[in-house]
Amino acid sequence: MPDADNLVRIEDRQGVKLVRLRASALLTEEEVETVGEALLGLAEVPGQRIVLSFLGVTHITSVVLNRLVLAQRRLEESGGEMRLADIDPHVYEMFTITRLDRRFRIFEREDEAVASFLGRAEG
Amino acid sequence: MPRQPPLSDGAGPWTERVLPTALEHIRPAERDVLERLGELGYSDDDRFGVRLALEEALVNAMKHGNKMDLSKHVHMAYRLSAERAEIHVADEGEGFDPGQVPDPTCDENLAKPCGRGVMLMRCYMDEVTYRDKGREVHMVKYRRP
Repeated sequence: MPDADNLVRIEDRQGVKLVRLRASALLTEEEVETVGEALLGLAEVPGQRIVLSFLGVTHITSVVLNRLVLAQRRLEESGGEMRLADIDPHVYEMFTITRLDRRFRIFEREDEAVASFLGRAEG
Repeated sequence: MPRQPPLSDGAGPWTERVLPTALEHIRPAERDVLERLGELGYSDDDRFGVRLALEEALVNAMKHGNKMDLSKHVHMAYRLSAERAEIHVADEGEGFDPGQVPDPTCDENLAKPCGRGVMLMRCYMDEVTYRDKGREVHMVKYRRP
């Protein structure tokens, strides 16, 4: 299993967990599993609020989308939510085709997504 | 070699590869295809779509078809021209009925982690045809001018 620190970096922004992916493409089972486990680990905290930044990620597959769906479902069960940001146009198109833009609130930039949780607009 | 080779129609030879059932073999296989598509003038949009569809097909073949059985292989063949990219992927599994894959865009399925790979392949390729009880998938992408 790859080291999670090599694939994700997690910061706390006033109680909002900002998760940045550090790979441009996620394919191997181990990579996706590692990222998925990191998200599910955060989701164990009731009411957890997560911003997942895709900055620099240019390629994903349906396996990643499915992991995100699972994490979102787990978060919602405990009153939390994951919002997404910085999604490459090609990758964003995958969200719209699969209608997952209805499952996730998606922001252009991570700061906007964090601010949305904190109840303020980010200019 | 594809288990049921695509019909020869004079459009050029097929390049054939036999991949072990291990996900690390996917990236090198798709790299060859993408490099050739770049040389043939396919756009970034087209190459993104082909890469995604090929990856989904190979992952499906290894995980769901061969069930990661190391004794089985995935048979890939492709034929690329300036007009179209044809890709054929076959596994050695038990097959499946693509018609039974639930539509992941239905409201009741949005929170379920399944069905998106097949759907994305259909969206990004111009033709997707399953044969041999779902063990083989044949995909075509026409180059955008």
